[in-house]
Amino acid sequence: MFPKPVENRSVLVRLLYKLSLPVALFVWLLPLLAIFMTSIRPASDIATGNVFGIPSTFQMLQNYAEVFAKTDALKYLTNTMLIALPTMVVSVALACLTGYALAIYKFKWALPLFFLFVAGNFVPFQILMLPVVDMSNRLEIFNTVPGLVMFHAAFQTGFCTLFMRNFMKALPFELIESARLEGVDEFKIFWHLVLPLVKPAIAALCVLIFTFIWNDFFWATVLLSDDKSLPITVGVRTLNGEFVQQWHLVSAASLLAAVPPVLMFFIMQKHFIAGLTLGATKG
Amino acid sequence: MINKFTRMAMAATIGGMLSTAALASDLVITFDDLNPDKKAAYDAAVEAFKAANPDINVTANNGDREAHKDTIRNALQNDAPDVITWYPGNRMAPFVDPGLFMDISDLWASDPNLSANFNAIKPTMSRNGKQWGVPYSYYQWGVYYRKDIYDKLSLSEPKTWDELLGNCDALKEAGVTPFTIGTKYLWTAAGVFDYLNLRTNGYDVHNDLTAGKIKYTDPRIRATFAKWEEMLDRCSFVKTHATMSWQEAISPFANGDAAMYVMGNFSVGQYKDAGLTDEQIDFFQFPEITPGLARAEEAPADAFFIPAKAKNVENAKKFLAFVATPEVQAEWNKTIGQLPPNSAAAINTDDKFIVEGMETLSTAAGLAQFYDRDAPAAMAKAGMEGFQKFMLDPSTLDEVLESLDKVQAEVY
Repeated sequence: MFPKPVENRSVLVRLLYKLSLPVALFVWLLPLLAIFMTSIRPASDIATGNVFGIPSTFQMLQNYAEVFAKTDALKYLTNTMLIALPTMVVSVALACLTGYALAIYKFKWALPLFFLFVAGNFVPFQILMLPVVDMSNRLEIFNTVPGLVMFHAAFQTGFCTLFMRNFMKALPFELIESARLEGVDEFKIFWHLVLPLVKPAIAALCVLIFTFIWNDFFWATVLLSDDKSLPITVGVRTLNGEFVQQWHLVSAASLLAAVPPVLMFFIMQKHFIAGLTLGATKG
Repeated sequence: MINKFTRMAMAATIGGMLSTAALASDLVITFDDLNPDKKAAYDAAVEAFKAANPDINVTANNGDREAHKDTIRNALQNDAPDVITWYPGNRMAPFVDPGLFMDISDLWASDPNLSANFNAIKPTMSRNGKQWGVPYSYYQWGVYYRKDIYDKLSLSEPKTWDELLGNCDALKEAGVTPFTIGTKYLWTAAGVFDYLNLRTNGYDVHNDLTAGKIKYTDPRIRATFAKWEEMLDRCSFVKTHATMSWQEAISPFANGDAAMYVMGNFSVGQYKDAGLTDEQIDFFQFPEITPGLARAEEAPADAFFIPAKAKNVENAKKFLAFVATPEVQAEWNKTIGQLPPNSAAAINTDDKFIVEGMETLSTAAGLAQFYDRDAPAAMAKAGMEGFQKFMLDPSTLDEVLESLDKVQAEVY
């Protein structure tokens, strides 16, 4: 199944690999690098057309400090937390329940129901914009954080269910059967037996969902308009006025906004990789 | 599950309604600018109002400017605040005519400050002889030019069209492109058109055109385009204008390849960011074309309105009168670097552009609100695309004007 490890290949292939890796890495990081260079430039460089060259002066500290001085960046970051964390908890919790039901119980509609969850993932969510806005208007949850969390949770639960169901399906069914034979209550099986076994999946899912929601720009733009509840992704945009675009500050703010998910990734790296390859190997 | 969520949401809303209903006197304000300076000025004014009226419980909302343009209709019809921001001139017509804004002529008549100090902008705030809002800020448009280049070639600020054309000839001879512009986002070209039309035909004709009462193929509008063709020919614009934003078009201006820019005053900070000093740049009013025509200017204003469905009208009027006071207007506009529509308000006299702008606007016979505010959105989009096309190839004039007539017939 696995491709031949690089170290076992011929010298030429290894050399090619070693040469192309830094190039690929550089190309991959080029946009990020450009944003970083813009974020340490003075505004005068952009005004005079020096957009890709060496900055005339390095203003890293000033620019990044200005982001915090000029916008409520801290408030926006807090708002993002207030949106991302509840969404993560709600959708992962729901997915554990639905995943358990779809994986463990054998009922007629289990498979069609599962396909419904899967199919939901293939609907491009942008086309749902108008119905969602209309619905949130009628429910009077437009422009509220709980409203946004509800929609996020609803959209993410489908993906989470797919993930959890497959993971639970891979558990040895004999475990559950023997617990049932012992007369253990169904909820206790779920709580004390299955949940501890799927902990790695829960952790991985949490990291994934947190990052998805953190990076969301679309729904926050569509469903929130009040400055008190804007997340950081939308808040960054306020640095651009009606006429004047302050690209150096927007770049700095965008990079700042990307820091927490990156940190989270490194802290939870083990789970994250495990999550991506879950079910890839069947033991 | 939806049912459960509905109930949860309803419970939350009802709870919210109960808690506000318990208070005696409320005021809900909806503002539309999150940009740091604009937000700071608004927040400061609201704080000052709260301090002056401790008995009023103020809820100050603020949201994204572009989103506001889409959500305002819904807000006015369903969940109206007591005070809301919008644009005066023709742009307020869609809300004035169906009765979504409240007539506040009584406030304009009874408040001595409003009736005495807002003469220049009063016509802009009026429709059908009544006043509908109170402006808090505006800014001037005109020609920003490189004074050092003008001085080197011993040119002076042109007062008439011929003087401007003469200056252009001299600049071209010296190897300098007379005008810079970036038409990638179209609206910059509308600034040039507005001025040519205001100077060729005057405020009333211009206003009738943007209100859909005059066709684009009208001989008077053709005369405007003839002047524009003359301008393209003798005062050429930088060649790559269709690929640049207005900010990118500052480059040729800053490095001396171009000498003039038809722009709004918000651009001054950018010239300085590009390394130009106060000694190198200056401002003149767009020169006269038709002699003796009353001078109208481009001065996009921002204003507060009271929705017809406002619940706390008395407090709303109190807030509007407060925003109109010279002190608040002065402070607000000092923070955002614009001009107070109140002629009695103090301005930053250290800024020569602000001083010239105040002089330009307070003596103007009429204030246009800019093409994309005066004309309805669909018309403005087609119009500005047409302007750009014409600028790139003046021989397309007939085709452009006829297609604009078609759009006009559909839009109005």
